[in-house]
Amino acid sequence: MIVDGLVHLGTSHFGYELDAITALAGMNAVGTDVAIAVPVHPKGADFVPVNDAVAAAARASQGRLVTLARVDPWNGPAAVAELRRAVGNGARGLFLHPGEEHFRINDDRVRPLAEAAAELGVPVVVAAGFHLYSEPLQLGRAAQFAPGNPFVLTNGGQLNISGLMGFDAELALANDNVLVQTSGMYREDFLEGVVATFGPERLMFATAAPQMDMSYERKRVELAHFTDAERALILGGNAQRVFGLPA
Amino acid sequence: MIFDMHMHIENSTALGWQMSAEDCIRAMDEAGVERAAVMTLTDLPGLNPAGLELIAEACANHPGRLYGFLRLNPALLETSKELLTRAVQELGFRGLKLHPVSTLQHPGGAATIELVRHAGELGVPTLFHCGDEPLSTPLSVAQTAAACPDATIVLGHMGGYFHVDEAIDVAERHGNVVLETSAMPYPDKIRAAVVRIGADRVVFGSDGPVSSPALERQKVVIAGLGHEAADLVLGGNADRMLGLAA
Repeated sequence: MIVDGLVHLGTSHFGYELDAITALAGMNAVGTDVAIAVPVHPKGADFVPVNDAVAAAARASQGRLVTLARVDPWNGPAAVAELRRAVGNGARGLFLHPGEEHFRINDDRVRPLAEAAAELGVPVVVAAGFHLYSEPLQLGRAAQFAPGNPFVLTNGGQLNISGLMGFDAELALANDNVLVQTSGMYREDFLEGVVATFGPERLMFATAAPQMDMSYERKRVELAHFTDAERALILGGNAQRVFGLPA
Repeated sequence: MIFDMHMHIENSTALGWQMSAEDCIRAMDEAGVERAAVMTLTDLPGLNPAGLELIAEACANHPGRLYGFLRLNPALLETSKELLTRAVQELGFRGLKLHPVSTLQHPGGAATIELVRHAGELGVPTLFHCGDEPLSTPLSVAQTAAACPDATIVLGHMGGYFHVDEAIDVAERHGNVVLETSAMPYPDKIRAAVVRIGADRVVFGSDGPVSSPALERQKVVIAGLGHEAADLVLGGNADRMLGLAA
């Protein structure tokens, strides 16, 4: 089973959009069976309707879209309550976007959400690499809020075109509960190094569509130098385990 | 003939990154890339005093495959000008590489401008690291482009993750700017660049061998440029810019 570890559904306040029909068509085109779908940052910043909209899209997708709840930590206890409600409504994890919601991932405001996710038995996925908000070492600290719970970082845990943020991303990976996604990570040696150093169970295929290209992101994994067993974990096995997907 | 405009050779103990000429050739062969521009990871003079010889030897060992770009620090201006002159006129180097993040030299600074003008006078382009970090954004490098209208300036990575639209804007305003496609993850932006500035000012690069030339080539394929434009981006433009025979 091929699982795309992250697609964004809806019309974003920040100008990008992807609807479920287009997402499924894209998945069909590249041979993806299931995608982990998260809501975009909505116009108006109320996450309840967008969590419900993505949940509805998932219910209509015959199992091909699996949702995560997106909340804004600045909403305090209401964010925790929304996480609980969304998980009760079928969400398989918590998605946090420090860059778009403008919070620091290792701020204490995030701790109750991380702890609630762990209590609910669902992983946390974080949009990684945003300067000031989700730098790799900040992500590494935040992973320690709930050290037994999977903490998944997009883009190899970084967004840096010099490769210089890779050192800090490797330090973040020293936390055993941290996984990184492949989306947008241009250094093939970094992706291969994650597998060699930390194990193939720590790397997860994701496209981050529509911000990144489904076809190209799939090639990123296909062309890297992994064994068949490693590639099977990266392309689907790890997501099945982390998000509790049926085999 | 596919030409990769951006590859690296160096054993950098400081960074722990090891990239040899043989690594480049292996990655090029895997990708079906015939020729590539190669440069060091760190700057000379100063941090990397043997950088010129390293690249010259790699090119000499792989004639017709590897072409040298000399990575220099404009802060040491006179020495850098002398090194570039020797590299181009005596050793056949084809370009200048500047990484303002590692040299701490603003692209609009007097030393950088003088060195880039010197490269233009020698008839070779200047490839800038151009991404999201201070000193390297497209608007920073636009200062050089405006001050050196007779020099060809290549924006490596065409703006990185967050500055790609800005890189296309800069190229639209400055006719001496060329966009290089490596590392940034957006095939559709290659197509947008070709539409807005023309296929003759976009060049394929990989930032290999540690990023994959095979994957980076697929980015151009997925961009869906059409045969004529794709041929220019993948090699025709490099042939023209670097004065290479087909």
